[in-house]
This record gives sequence, C-alpha cells and structure tokens, in this order.
Amino acid sequence: MTLPIKDRVAIAGLGSTPFSRDAGRAAGAMVLDACVGAVRDAGLTASDIDGLCGSNVVPARYVQGALGIPECTWHANLTIPFQHQIIESMNAIHAGMCSTVLAYHGVYRASGTSRAASADPFRARYGAGPNVLFQTPDTFEGAVGHSPWARRYLDKYGVGREVFGKVAINNRSNAVLNERAAMRQPLTMEDYLSARLVREPLTLYDMDLPVDGADAFIITSAERARDLPHRPVLIHAAALGQNDRPFSAQMLDVDCTGQQIAIRQLWRHSDVRLGDVDVFFPYDGFSIITVRWFETAGYCDDGEANAFFDAHWETSTDRILIDGRVAVNTHGGSMSEGATQGSGHFREAAAQLRGEAGVRQVPNAKHALVTPGGFFFNAGAVMLRTE
Amino acid sequence: MNGITDAAVFESFPGVAIDHDNIEHYRGILQRRLLVNRCADCGTWHEPARSRCPACWSTRVEPTKISGRGVIALFTVLHHGPPATGIDYQEGHPVAAVELAEQPGLRFTATIVDCKRETLRIGLPVELTWIERVGVPVPAFRPAEPRNA
Repeated sequence: MTLPIKDRVAIAGLGSTPFSRDAGRAAGAMVLDACVGAVRDAGLTASDIDGLCGSNVVPARYVQGALGIPECTWHANLTIPFQHQIIESMNAIHAGMCSTVLAYHGVYRASGTSRAASADPFRARYGAGPNVLFQTPDTFEGAVGHSPWARRYLDKYGVGREVFGKVAINNRSNAVLNERAAMRQPLTMEDYLSARLVREPLTLYDMDLPVDGADAFIITSAERARDLPHRPVLIHAAALGQNDRPFSAQMLDVDCTGQQIAIRQLWRHSDVRLGDVDVFFPYDGFSIITVRWFETAGYCDDGEANAFFDAHWETSTDRILIDGRVAVNTHGGSMSEGATQGSGHFREAAAQLRGEAGVRQVPNAKHALVTPGGFFFNAGAVMLRTE
Repeated sequence: MNGITDAAVFESFPGVAIDHDNIEHYRGILQRRLLVNRCADCGTWHEPARSRCPACWSTRVEPTKISGRGVIALFTVLHHGPPATGIDYQEGHPVAAVELAEQPGLRFTATIVDCKRETLRIGLPVELTWIERVGVPVPAFRPAEPRNA
C-alpha cells in the first residue's frame, strides 16, 4: 500500500560534533554546534527554520532562543530513540504545521552513568541523567532489560556468545575508519570473550558507550530540498512498533517484540525491498538488539544470525558485508562511535546516501534501512532513499 | 489497612515508585505476603500492578496472594547494580523473571537464593521464599527441587 507521505519529506542538512568520553563542554553548546552546522549545510539561515524537534536533554526553546530563530509554528521535545524526531518532523511537515524543521539530539555523559562521570563537578551539577540505576537490585527494568533476553536467545537457539561478539567487532572495525568515533582501537574475538561480564551474558562490549556530542538535521519537503545544495535524502517509509507486553519481564518471547510490528508495517509501506538495501543501520544499544534486527528484518531466520554473520563476514576488513556489498553500521554504531540513541545511525545513513561518507562510503548507495530501538517499547524502522 | 500505615510503607521502600495502584503490593511484602493483581470479574492476573484488568478493562482488580510456585522464564546475573545490603556484585547477583503457576506469561521478578550457579537455568522449578535487607522483607525464589538434585 502506498502512503501519500512516501518520498514527500527529505533530510536536507546535516551537522555533528565529534563524539568523545569527555568533550569538556556543555550539552547545549554541542547541540548548538551541530545545529549551526546543519542549517549552514542546507544553505539556510535562522529565519528559514519554522519547526524545532529535540528532546528534554536540550529542549526546543533553548535552541530557539540561543540561535535567534524568530518564529516557529511547530516544536516538540520527544523521547528517544531518534526515529521519533525524524518521524514526527516528517509528519508535521507533511501535515502543513511547518515547512522546515531543525531536528537535533545532544548526548552528555551524565553523572549517573559511572563513578568517573559523577566525579566531574560539571556532570555532578548536571544531574544523574536518564541512565541512573533503579533503586531495587531485583528488577529487569532500566538498563538490565535486554540481558536476560540475551541469555534466553543463546539458550533457545543453542549458540555461543560469539554471535554478540561479531556485532561488537563489526561496529569497532567500522569505527576505526570514523574520525568522529569515540572508540577506534580494533577489537578481536579474544578481547570480546575475555571481557568482564557486567550483566550476564553481556559484557561492556555488548553495550552502547556513553559519550558527549550532538547531531542535527534539516528536514523539509522533498520539493524544497531539491532547491537546496545537497542531494535530498528522502524518507521513503517509516514505522513504529509496540505490543501489549512492553516490559522486559513480561514479554512473551524473543519473537514477540515491537521489532516485528515495526518491520511488518515498514514492509507494507515500502516499495524498496530488503534486497534493494545498500547499507543497513540496526540499533546497537545492546548487541542482542542488533542480532534480532538482522533476523527480524529478514536477512536470516530466527536464531540464524551467528551463521549469517559467518557467511557474510569480510575477513580483510573484519566486519559484516552482506552479499559482499551491504555494510552495517558504517559509523561504528552506538557501541563504538558513541551512544546517540539513533541520531548517529540516521546521520551516517544520510551521509552514505549523499555519497559523502568518505573512506567509509558504500559505492553507489541509494537505499538505507535504519532500524532503531529495542524489544520492549521503542522499536522503529525507517527506509531512506535517494532519487 | 492491615495495620501497616501508608507512611510505614513509604519509609520501608525509599526510592521505589509507590503509588495508589501498587501500594498494597508493598504493604503485602512487609507482611511476607506476595500479592499480584487479579481481576475479580474475569480472573485474569496482571503484573506490574495497574488500576484495570488488561483483558476485560474491569476496575475490580484485587491484590491477591499467589501460590509461590513457578518456573524460571528468564534470568541474568548482575555484576553491577545499585548498592544493597547483602549483595556482592563481584560474586554476582542473580535476578530472574519467574513464570508463576497461576497463569501462562504471568511473571514476577526477584532474586534467586539457595541455588548454585550451575543449577541456575531457564525452566528451573522454583518456590517463593523470603529474605531480609536492612530489616525489610524481600521476596525471593529458591529451587523447588532438592537442592543438590
């Protein structure tokens, strides 16, 4: 079924900071850098922006005031991952609420993420942040949530932890080529398997990396984007997914997640099929999420990701290269570039489709599949394309 | 209600998001009674506690004592988490979602005690027991089989 919104809204500008464990800067300053970069990249000025879309980390009114954007007719501070900002900006533009949205995401290593972070007086004053540990040690809510499902996946399909290690190694091998990335030392399977278990069966290498930095995007009508300097990146189809058991402990099984719902809806609305995809951006907040996105998107059957990775591994670059051509999380993902809750995945996807990914460029990339979010309540799927 | 005031419940569980919909669950814990919400109209159990039955939308949900029998559906062993008395994260703190005998898919999350690491597995039959942390009862599960079987 073709939706009227298909290919009607585009990403027309990109801006980002580098990502690091300690940028020594405020979250707001990094967001402003990314926003200024995106507006200039699109060849626009402050008065061209009439929509703002961020999150409560750095709310829209902060950005509007700080950049002197005279008038907005639509703004929203949304939850993460970043498909929400992309999709709601698309909807607002198509509905006529506004014409050009500056959508952005800032990340800041809050004091709740680690003892080291809490020792920094700036971070301490900033607050604990959303990653603060739940007060009870006996819960699957919060950051624990995907670990028991990783255990269940290994048991259910009879595979070893190497399946998760391959996700971490793929991302790290790509990050080595990304000068924005926070982690650029190569990672071996030996490193992975000998790492300390944090939440069994997962290690530090199975988790995204808290960092400082920001991404920003100009989103506007495809018609308008065609008059701007860069090749428009069209939002071809988009979907979200959630079911009636949106809690880690209550979810029925690994194949009863929001991922299935999002991807089914995407394939209903997308004319671009899986075989047309040139570059794939599965979410990697936890390695088990990435493994299941491969299986859920349809690259292989449930429980077959480990064998699939082996069959599609490019030894010379030590990474996944599906059918010898489709690279995966070319920026290094949230594990190795840094945890941007999906904004990094969208920014790199857009850069690939513009042909501006430099040494990481997938030749002639025209279609990118971005699948942000995990199992319980935040899965999404977006197909981007160029003309 | 039941002789334990709301103030005492809040005081016993600092940092826990207690509200009008789940306070009876926590009051029950202080009496070593594990209560899970059950619909008085259609009999469906649900967890976590909410104001309506998700199956029939009845508001007649009643915190109801469970049998305490179940099977481990999911588990992890934590080596990192909020500091708590009696928990050694270096050794590992096991947490499981126990599928309760009352209803398929109805799970309660708790720690596992009296269980060797090599015994801990998905599918292990377990039963409710009680431990204490700083004088407050904590529901836990232990293997239902003889310990070294």
